[in-house]
Amino acid sequence: MADAAITATVPAARAAPAARGVLVPRLITGLALLLIWEVAVRLLAPAYVAKPTTVLMVAPHVLTDPVFLRATGNTLAAVAEGLAVALVFGTVIGLLMGRSPALEKAIRHYVNGFYAMPMIVVLPLFSLWFGYSASTRIATIIFAAIFSIIVNVADGARSVPREFLEVARSFRSSRLRMMLNIVLPSSMPYLLAGFRLAAGRALIGAVVAEFFISVGGLGYYILYNSRSYHHNEAFVGVLLLAAFGVSFEVLVQAATRRFLPWYRRDEKAD
Amino acid sequence: MPTSIRRYVPFWLSLAVGIALWEVAGRSTSAAFMVPFSATLVRLWELIVAGEFLGQLAESAKLFFTGFVLALTVGIPLGMLLARVRALRIGIEPYLMLIYATPLVALIPFILSMMGFGFAPKVLVVFLFAVFPVLYNTVEGARSIKPEMIEVAHSFRSGEWALWREVMLPYTLPYTMTGVRQAIGRALVGMVAAEFFLSSTGLGQLIMGASQNFDTGGVFASIFVIGLIGVGLMRVGLMIERHFARWRQ
Repeated sequence: MADAAITATVPAARAAPAARGVLVPRLITGLALLLIWEVAVRLLAPAYVAKPTTVLMVAPHVLTDPVFLRATGNTLAAVAEGLAVALVFGTVIGLLMGRSPALEKAIRHYVNGFYAMPMIVVLPLFSLWFGYSASTRIATIIFAAIFSIIVNVADGARSVPREFLEVARSFRSSRLRMMLNIVLPSSMPYLLAGFRLAAGRALIGAVVAEFFISVGGLGYYILYNSRSYHHNEAFVGVLLLAAFGVSFEVLVQAATRRFLPWYRRDEKAD
Repeated sequence: MPTSIRRYVPFWLSLAVGIALWEVAGRSTSAAFMVPFSATLVRLWELIVAGEFLGQLAESAKLFFTGFVLALTVGIPLGMLLARVRALRIGIEPYLMLIYATPLVALIPFILSMMGFGFAPKVLVVFLFAVFPVLYNTVEGARSIKPEMIEVAHSFRSGEWALWREVMLPYTLPYTMTGVRQAIGRALVGMVAAEFFLSSTGLGQLIMGASQNFDTGGVFASIFVIGLIGVGLMRVGLMIERHFARWRQ
């Protein structure tokens, strides 16, 4: 009961809109888009090009294919590992940067610079450093993900209300405890926003790395199958990637609503 | 010392320290692994003098601007249309979000096998990367308009033109510009991805070629330049966004 009351007061526009008035136009649009796609491909494109009906037909086979499942597991494990590293180091660096003006001045331009850099340009360099192996993929994922976490956490740490820190200081709390018990929790929404961006970028990093160095995974599965004109099979992989992308978004939004109902802000986007 | 100079002291200092660290790191490792800053600049100069570099830069710029301008000319009017026609917007919103959250790089192999190695498929990649942020943010802006505002405008007998000028544009344009800023960054990623995985041209080819020849200096020089371009474009994007954000109040 209490939970429902809380969520009902949070961002009205974000919370589920009046379901029925919205569902019908959405379903119609979705069907129309699928129909346009189907007809366009049938009329204009060669037979191997993916279209809804054929994708649907191969989907059950692909989704139970051990090769496909192994590829998916590979990619997801790499993304999870890279994200975990980026999250830990990004949060620590971000917190320090947000609370220490000296450090902020020293590294701000580098963090922003790397953040603005199209992340995939480092691939040829990483492949020189780490060889054509899975470590290159991990390194790419970390590089792709970490800067959006640093930037957002630093923003959050900077915007901690001054009174919180003054109260803590007057109770003689140590700097470490202030970081852990005040700065970190109040930067949480920023951290989540940064994590959401990081997850999307990590996924891109993983796929691009797999294209580049041909290490086994979902990206490589897509590349391999589309090269051998199995577009329908490859497209199931794209759909799965889309599902991961969306579920990251949905999870973070749900987490923000559930655990941080007090929070509302336009997050810093890429 | 005038304050304008003093303000930039930390910036120059951090730049100097960074370059010094790069130099030291480069000199104390093998040249195949890392190249010091000075050697990177020397290599960059060699590439420029050889005449290869500026041509590749122009090639990349052509790709970037063609795709980006195309994305704006499609994205902004379409976004505005979606913003105005509520039924259409509500219908299409979830699909926009879906595509926005999908790593579009995964489509590159399909584009390759359907369209081959010309200029058009690469433009398509840049276009796809750039258009969705514009669309998505414009629609987001339209959602920020309270229906009452439009009702009030209607009850004062505002015509379509007045409605656009007084309500629609001021409310959606700042969001659109956020989309434009994001699109700049994404178009750059799309440009590099297209140059890596479709026909190899431009700065992408320069990096790939250098990496295949184990020319670490060439790799560093090209990445350095692309990094600078990224920072410069990000600046431009932020300026555009801030200029329009003043409307938001």
